[in-house]
Amino acid sequence: MAASNEEEILEGFLCPICKADLKSASQLTNHFESLHQEEQDVLKSLKEIFGKAKKIILNNDDTDLKETFDRALKFSSQERYYAREEQTVGVSRSSTDYFKAVRSARLERYATETNKLLIRLDKLVCNMPSDPNQRKQHEQEVVPWLDGSSVKLCPNCAKAFNLTRRKHHCRLCGSILCHDCSVFLDLNVAKTIVDPSATPQPETSTAEKFGLRLCEHCYNLVQLRRQIQENRNVKTVLMSAYEQMRSLMEQATPAVEMYEKMCQSLFDGETIYNLSDVNAMRGRIGKLAEGIDLLSKHIASLPVQPGTRQAKLQNSIRQASAHYIKEELLSLRKLPTEAQIEEVRRQRYERAQKQIELERERIERERERREKEWGEEGEASGGRGQQHDDDNPILEQMNIIRDYIKEARKELRFEEVAILEQNLKDLKKEYQLQMLSNKS
Amino acid sequence: MNVIQAVKMYIIKMTEESGPGMKVILMDKETTSIVSMVFSQSEILQKEVYLFERIDSHTKWDDLKHMKCIVFLRPTSENIALLSRELKSPKYGVYFIYFSNVVSKADIKTLAECDEQETVREVQEVFADYLAVDRHLFSFNIVGCLHGRSWNQHHLQRCSQGLLALLLSLKRRPIIRYEAGSEACARLAERIKELMRREAVLMDNNIPFNGDIPPPQLLVLDRRDDPVTPLLHQWTYQAMVHELLTIDNNRVSLAGVQDAPKDMKEVVLSSEQDEFYAKNLYSNFGEIGQTMKSLMDEFQKKAKSHQKVESIADMKNFVETYPLFKKMCGTVTKHVTVVGQLSSVVGSRRLLQVSELEQELACHADHTRHLQRLKAMLSDEAIAGTELVKLVCLYALRYEKHAANALPALIDSLKSRGAEHRAPALLLEYGGAHARQSDLFGLQDAAKITKRLFKGLSGVENIYTQHTPLLKDTLEDLIKGKLRENLYPAVGGELLNRRPQDIIVFIVGGTTYEEALCVHQINQSYPGVNVVLGGTTIHNSTTFLNEVKEAMHGQHRTHTRHIRNL
Repeated sequence: MAASNEEEILEGFLCPICKADLKSASQLTNHFESLHQEEQDVLKSLKEIFGKAKKIILNNDDTDLKETFDRALKFSSQERYYAREEQTVGVSRSSTDYFKAVRSARLERYATETNKLLIRLDKLVCNMPSDPNQRKQHEQEVVPWLDGSSVKLCPNCAKAFNLTRRKHHCRLCGSILCHDCSVFLDLNVAKTIVDPSATPQPETSTAEKFGLRLCEHCYNLVQLRRQIQENRNVKTVLMSAYEQMRSLMEQATPAVEMYEKMCQSLFDGETIYNLSDVNAMRGRIGKLAEGIDLLSKHIASLPVQPGTRQAKLQNSIRQASAHYIKEELLSLRKLPTEAQIEEVRRQRYERAQKQIELERERIERERERREKEWGEEGEASGGRGQQHDDDNPILEQMNIIRDYIKEARKELRFEEVAILEQNLKDLKKEYQLQMLSNKS
Repeated sequence: MNVIQAVKMYIIKMTEESGPGMKVILMDKETTSIVSMVFSQSEILQKEVYLFERIDSHTKWDDLKHMKCIVFLRPTSENIALLSRELKSPKYGVYFIYFSNVVSKADIKTLAECDEQETVREVQEVFADYLAVDRHLFSFNIVGCLHGRSWNQHHLQRCSQGLLALLLSLKRRPIIRYEAGSEACARLAERIKELMRREAVLMDNNIPFNGDIPPPQLLVLDRRDDPVTPLLHQWTYQAMVHELLTIDNNRVSLAGVQDAPKDMKEVVLSSEQDEFYAKNLYSNFGEIGQTMKSLMDEFQKKAKSHQKVESIADMKNFVETYPLFKKMCGTVTKHVTVVGQLSSVVGSRRLLQVSELEQELACHADHTRHLQRLKAMLSDEAIAGTELVKLVCLYALRYEKHAANALPALIDSLKSRGAEHRAPALLLEYGGAHARQSDLFGLQDAAKITKRLFKGLSGVENIYTQHTPLLKDTLEDLIKGKLRENLYPAVGGELLNRRPQDIIVFIVGGTTYEEALCVHQINQSYPGVNVVLGGTTIHNSTTFLNEVKEAMHGQHRTHTRHIRNL
């Protein structure tokens, strides 16, 4: 090096202006802040350098791996151009209204008929006498039976009625049909159709004796209604386990976000959260992951015939949740160690302390100047022996907030902790200002 | 204009509109491809879609009434019939129906009448009716769209519908221009205009008029105008993989590769899901090798540092970096396998040597020397017949009108090598001078001749990548407002007084990855300009020669009658 002959090379934390060796990074910044206030831009760049260095030192764990890979992947500027345009979802057109109009026009006919049948069914089953004769009478009261005298053939199969092929009536519409053409609706089933909340009673009867004789048409309409009803209230073991799992996932997503935020705050040296908080949060996410894992395993192991889609579905759910856990919940950022936090905090604290000192000096100077101007004396007497006034409302409030924070911490409501900590900080500042103004 | 994003947003819309709950998606063959181009399975699983079913599968399935069914189909008559049957005896609890294109009222009525159990909640048209290959590249996967000079009607229908969908999905109302010399282009352009007219209400309601921005342009070109590009061997990663291993819907089969890892019989190359691929698909082969090496070095360093897992802390550290590690590991292995395969093919098929002559033939005129080298290669047993066919094809195109044309003799040599000797004549018939309106080899245009001269003076940077596709000139002319109106007229005679910013190019007869690269470069070098490229398919040389064969099947030769030795 040519320069080395003329000048001695200095090393260490040098101040670029007065060339003093300040021994440490924080001292250098402080020195700069206090002595070279005019060179603010230099200070800024100095801070940036430390910030970068700090980042590299502190985040060198898993982000490091990613960074090296990114470098190897040669981040080209390819994204630069394309990222600009905000794209909205393309044109779409709904025909749902038209579809529903056509459907309801068609179904209305069925619906009125089905409703009529259901009202009759309700009346039939509600207070049905057990005695066969009374029952018949009851049935005829509800539904007027068709007069069968002129009917010679079964309307359904067109076979002639005779001694062996007797005439029967559909209990819902009252029309005539033969035994072969009738269908029977189990009374218990009928009861559940009328009142879906009723639990089906254990089968005590054979279908034919206690079932309702219906024609095929009425049977189909009633059955269709029943199917729709059932579809509405299918709730299997799978469903409830799945819902439980999803609700855990819904809790996990904001928890991870919160964790990231807390972690960042720690790395920034803020004091809102402490390490145990973040660890607790990590624990909670771990618990959620465990819960999701258990539930999805449970879903995958529900008894099912192999090769069916039900089996495939259960496997897919398990696969999806395993993927979710792996990608979202287990790839959490590593926490800093206690020592690292201490270091960052100390730096931050020192900086803040310096700031306060500067502030105090400024006020002091101002006061001295004022004192000189007006020749006042001994104003500041008794200022040192600060008497803590326990009745001070600010202090009282601060204590209350501290209690709140403790409580919120215990219940892992960290959003609240953050807000409360902020409040506390504001109060502290307010209190200090009050003290200062009392002094002066 | 990002076509991948456009399709993705439609699919996200579908999964979201059906609300929370277990979902199954019911698709046809084409919509399955459309979805799989933009979503990986693990991605769509995270949207609560757990089952994928085909409407045309004939297996008798069990009922799953607790599931929500998203139906995503092309509105064909077969699909309507199949869906009607499904709705009559529904297997799922509720249905959300989405058609990938315009569906007729009559068809909706048919479906509504089948929905007796009232299971349908939504019926919509979304316009994801094309395969989004890359953010600026789409395709319809149609090989053999022409019969002679005119369209296969079925394919014309599919392309016009698909392009209408593209416009709706990107919310663009363009002026349509087409290559005047091509009947196929004119037909397609008119058909799209007609569809746009039919859906004018839908377009006008959803696409705001903005006088400040020049109207977008849809440019319909014919592959026959540039039959050279698909014949050339490419040296950028994506194009090379397609030429040597064939990319089919973003998937590459490695089944024939001997030392491929067991779980890599088929690998997915998608720029959306694979960061390495996204960053390197346009790098050339040499760069890829270097990137790969540095990646391997990093990887090994990391792997080694993780190998000594001694303390609990080490172990924890390893587990914490594990997901990332594993992901990287998969990517690296995949690309090492693919690149390894490429380089072995390049070596065994003498592709450097072949490619050099290809580029010479495409870019320079020097008949005696070219013929001499070509003859030498024809007698070189180490060079495969398929390569020779391409070389003779290039010769045929370049020296079609040359006085000393020796094509018949070359065809004889091909015959004696047992190669596909009919291809050069068919190609001449398909895309010879009579079929082209542009000055492909730059013989007449004074400006082009000087440009070539200057290029020659400044020396060639890389002999393997001298060729630039004709599309580049066309697009640059269009962007500068210099594309001639008599050669590329607008449908309906619309005014072309402003330079377009948004451009959609569609090549009838298929596009290539080389052209996709060229569009990518244009997008980068002209700020404010946004080009999307599409084609009936994306060709490599093999599929292109198939396309030619299919188009010329059963056609009388009118321009190559002098070639008698077929």
